Amino acid sequence: MTATVDVAPAARPLREGLLQFDPPRLLGSRCHVCGTTIFPAREFCPKCRVEGSQSSLPLSPQGSVFSYTVVHQAPGGRPTPYVLAYVDLKDDVRVLAQLEHPADAVSIGMPVSLRLKQVAEDGGMPIIGYVFAADPDAGGAE
Amino acid sequence: MTATYLAGVGMVRFGKYDASVTLEKLAAGAAAAALTDAGAAKSQIEAVYVGHVFGGPVAGQRIAVEIGLDGLPVSNHENYCASGATALREAWLAIRAGLYDVVLVIGAEKMTDRVKGGVAPDPSDLDAMQGFVMTAGHALSARRYMVDHGATREQIAMVAVKNHRHSQHNPYAHYQREVSLGEVLNARLVADPLGVLDCSPISDGAAAAVVCSARGLERLGIADSRPQVRAIGLVSGTLRTGLYDLNEEDISKRAGEQAFAMAGIDPGDIDLVEMHDCFTIAEIVRMEGLGLIPRGEGALWTASGRTSIGGDLPVNPSGGLLSRGHPVGATGMAQVCELYWQLTGQAGRRQVDEARLGLGYCKGGTVSGTDGASVTTVVVSR
Repeated sequence: MTATVDVAPAARPLREGLLQFDPPRLLGSRCHVCGTTIFPAREFCPKCRVEGSQSSLPLSPQGSVFSYTVVHQAPGGRPTPYVLAYVDLKDDVRVLAQLEHPADAVSIGMPVSLRLKQVAEDGGMPIIGYVFAADPDAGGAE
Repeated sequence: MTATYLAGVGMVRFGKYDASVTLEKLAAGAAAAALTDAGAAKSQIEAVYVGHVFGGPVAGQRIAVEIGLDGLPVSNHENYCASGATALREAWLAIRAGLYDVVLVIGAEKMTDRVKGGVAPDPSDLDAMQGFVMTAGHALSARRYMVDHGATREQIAMVAVKNHRHSQHNPYAHYQREVSLGEVLNARLVADPLGVLDCSPISDGAAAAVVCSARGLERLGIADSRPQVRAIGLVSGTLRTGLYDLNEEDISKRAGEQAFAMAGIDPGDIDLVEMHDCFTIAEIVRMEGLGLIPRGEGALWTASGRTSIGGDLPVNPSGGLLSRGHPVGATGMAQVCELYWQLTGQAGRRQVDEARLGLGYCKGGTVSGTDGASVTTVVVSR
């Protein structure tokens, strides 16, 4: 198993078009001109700048930690500590997300995979975001 | 194009002021000091440019009224931590265009009563939704820098040691005492590996300059020379794709190249830099991005004293954001004040010898997916 999901039926993503529930995937887009894959999806390719060149694409749920930090102080009353990381997905896309892993056991190159989870609530409706968690099956550093 | 000069500058000491010292009062203090330094009467000011972030709607007009400059063209400029320098750029453009000859530029911020626990991107930003705060971004950068260049935690911490050592001679600095390497390394962690002494403080403050054309200097009765604003670069970040180099600082490179070309200078001739060291690691990677220090050598340069006063290329003789303090909208103008004092030989015990050409650099804000929001590069010569 490379990714897990625990999503109530009437839930919505953190932002429209950001992710799909089943199977749990982040949704990026790929340029049909230069082949660059990006997240989140856009209307144009940031690499070759061609407009309307993008096709929606579920991204690999697996990747490895490129860099990380343990945040001990944050504004806005967000509970601390939490681990924040850049994760390099297998489709060569870098995603910033929290890691659900003990802070003292994170390392650069650690294999991780995607997990969708409720991050907020809007009038009783769960808002679904994403984190990554350690996953030995996700393969090591590039 | 009309040449642009700094006729005079002034600032209030950065620090934590109680509620009775309002944004307007801080700004008025800096403005009065700049007007006095320039020998300018209020009636000679043709326009007011104000940089701020947290001042609220029309803070610039509230400040102008406080000073008695009501009725003039007043504009508000927000580019997060580059707001003050952005305001200066707008003033410089207007003078170059021949629109005005004598204007007042103010950077001001009252933070300690409205910002707690650090600053973050706009809540609508995708990174902010994941818990991205400014410190975290620089912690991610620092960890990667150490891995990629073999730099040590101690070398990075030396940026704070150096800048605090410099600021003990700056009467306008929030902090005016030395800190030891041990203090930096053992300080409370904010975002691992960065501790609280790797972070610039939340400060209140204001800084201002009277900016003139040659005709404006004449009008103020200034016969001798004044530092010239040679160029001001402004760029925004670009979207990154693929598995990019986190510390490439392409945004800094572009901002530097823009200003150096416009000013017609060789960056190797720069004698001192007022650098946006909002965090220790930021000073290192931004100096490298500008091309003023070879890639991967910034930490080593810092630890070996090459960026100290008396070194090859002094960086932040004022103490920088880490020690002078960082009232975000005021910082760019505080850098300009320091450049003015350094280039006119008025910097006292923090004076850089033979300072002829200086650079002020600000980086403001982040936008998810890019290498930053705004960077300004101010080139000033004696």
